[in-house]
Amino acid sequence: MITCADFMAEIGNYLEGDAAAEVRLQLEQHLAHCATCQVVVDSSRKMIQIVTDSGSFDLPDPVLKPIANQIMSRIRKEQH
Amino acid sequence: MSYLAESPPDPTLAALHVFRENYGFVPGVFQAQGLLPRLIQAEASLADAILFHDAGLSRIEKESIALAEAAAQANPYCVALHHQTLLLLGVPKQRLATLVGVPESVTFSPTLDSCLVLAWASFACTLSTGLGTAPDFAHPPLPNRKQRGASEPGVYTSKFEEAEDSPVFAFFREQFGLMPNLFRAQASRPDVLEAQAKLISAVLLPGDVLTRLQKELLMLAVCGSDRNEYGVALWSELLRKAGITEEICDRIAGDHPKTELANHDKQLLDFGVKLAAHGASFCEEDIHRLREHSFTDHQILEAVATTALTKFLNTLQIRLRAEPDFEVRLVVWPSAENNANLLSEEPRLTQESAPVDADLEVVDAVRGGNVDAFEQLIERHSRRVYRTLVGILGDPEDARDAMQDTFLKAFQHLANFQGRSKFSTWLVSIATNTGLQRLRERRPLESLNEGPTDPEEGFRPRQVRAWTEDPEQLYSQTERRKLVESSVMKLPAKYRVAVVLRDLELLSTEEAAAALGLQIPTLKSHLLRGRLMLREALAPHFAKRTSEVSN
Repeated sequence: MITCADFMAEIGNYLEGDAAAEVRLQLEQHLAHCATCQVVVDSSRKMIQIVTDSGSFDLPDPVLKPIANQIMSRIRKEQH
Repeated sequence: MSYLAESPPDPTLAALHVFRENYGFVPGVFQAQGLLPRLIQAEASLADAILFHDAGLSRIEKESIALAEAAAQANPYCVALHHQTLLLLGVPKQRLATLVGVPESVTFSPTLDSCLVLAWASFACTLSTGLGTAPDFAHPPLPNRKQRGASEPGVYTSKFEEAEDSPVFAFFREQFGLMPNLFRAQASRPDVLEAQAKLISAVLLPGDVLTRLQKELLMLAVCGSDRNEYGVALWSELLRKAGITEEICDRIAGDHPKTELANHDKQLLDFGVKLAAHGASFCEEDIHRLREHSFTDHQILEAVATTALTKFLNTLQIRLRAEPDFEVRLVVWPSAENNANLLSEEPRLTQESAPVDADLEVVDAVRGGNVDAFEQLIERHSRRVYRTLVGILGDPEDARDAMQDTFLKAFQHLANFQGRSKFSTWLVSIATNTGLQRLRERRPLESLNEGPTDPEEGFRPRQVRAWTEDPEQLYSQTERRKLVESSVMKLPAKYRVAVVLRDLELLSTEEAAAALGLQIPTLKSHLLRGRLMLREALAPHFAKRTSEVSN
């Protein structure tokens, strides 16, 4: 049986779906019995979804447009 | 006299001066490449850095090592050239007879300089064999070909960990997505790295004669036939990014005749492998065979130069023994009885098979003089560039400034964009370099690359209360965004940028690693650590309340 520490060592690959089939099976066996690791996996997945859906660091058009204009004017200046 | 169409280089070509100054004339092997002067130019730089420039070894010592290597490879052209040069430098005939007759008796101290000379010797031997250049001078009788190279590996052990980052690294990072260890091992000779960068640029990068894909596949096949695992891992990784599957790469490296390629392309790989591995039986017929398959002399010359470049790098690798940059996959080398047909369709090694990048049309328009079209590229990619920069810099205002610099640099270097990766990936890697440069100026100690962090080491989850079923419902979009932004900003830069590229920009692990110039395991471990830290930071906001748990 693998321990929680073993599980944490592989959790990156597990979350990414990259764990080899054999390892995956062992991890899932551990998960079936370990509430703590279940929480970590479940909350990590939810967290990733929240981050992805958050639209963080998105610049609105009114901010982007003047920057694009500045870049273009620097480029045109350079052309001359 | 050579196999290819006579087309003497322009006598005013600057490179020829280098040869005249150091040999007193332009050796035939360089004269024979007049069809593609860019090759002569790059070869002159490499010869200058390795052979003519006095570093650790004298010119006589270097010419002696090169002569012994040419004799061991039974290459009449190079034997004649180095023999004559040493005669003129006043080396006694008796010593020369030993060098040629018993090359294995030649000993030299195993330094980076002597490894480079050996690599140059392999390069020149391959070129002269492939081009069929007639010797410039009479040469002494050659011994039977001796098996060398792989039998005496690893004479030089380098300390690459101590290598200082030098400006030329940027070229290799851009081309390979990271600084390959083979080049890092040569960091003490930036002039030589510079010359190798020039050679790679001249031989491999242009796509107007052979396609870049054809040349990379040729390099992979030659690495495979030389059993160079390091090279196989490196070129496979590059080819994989160009959309060639691992199975095809493994097959080309392992046993290319059994790979189901278009016949035209297969002939090209046959040609290179024969030149690299069976130089003694290589002859004009091999040139004719390519011509029969409608290869032009320009293309044949490029195939010879590509093979020679691969031999150069393979020889270096045999000596320097750099650690592979990518996972070495199990390759079934030739002779194994493996007839399984892994390929369902016949790949054609032309650029048409690469996925179409919607930005290319706009890029071409800008290159063609329509500067205004560049604005479309800004519109399409500014969000991604900005996010990358916020990820690195952790400061919105700084990121906006760096965004301007990024697009300006992209515009200035648009001619260098080879279409090898997607335009967006290229742009993100410029953004990354711009961001890192600013970060270094601000905080000289912060680096993205400190090797993989051990995820289990010192990281135990502390927040272990279950999260609510639908955590996104707890807060408004604006509130969630604020929570995420402030937590992401608190991460250390290297974890922050990994999370931003993967979980906000939705790049693949490979794309993110390539853009950041990190190895895949390093990126993965940074991503994991960043995610786990974020989970800890966000847990108090999304976990069930104690009262819910007890219910």
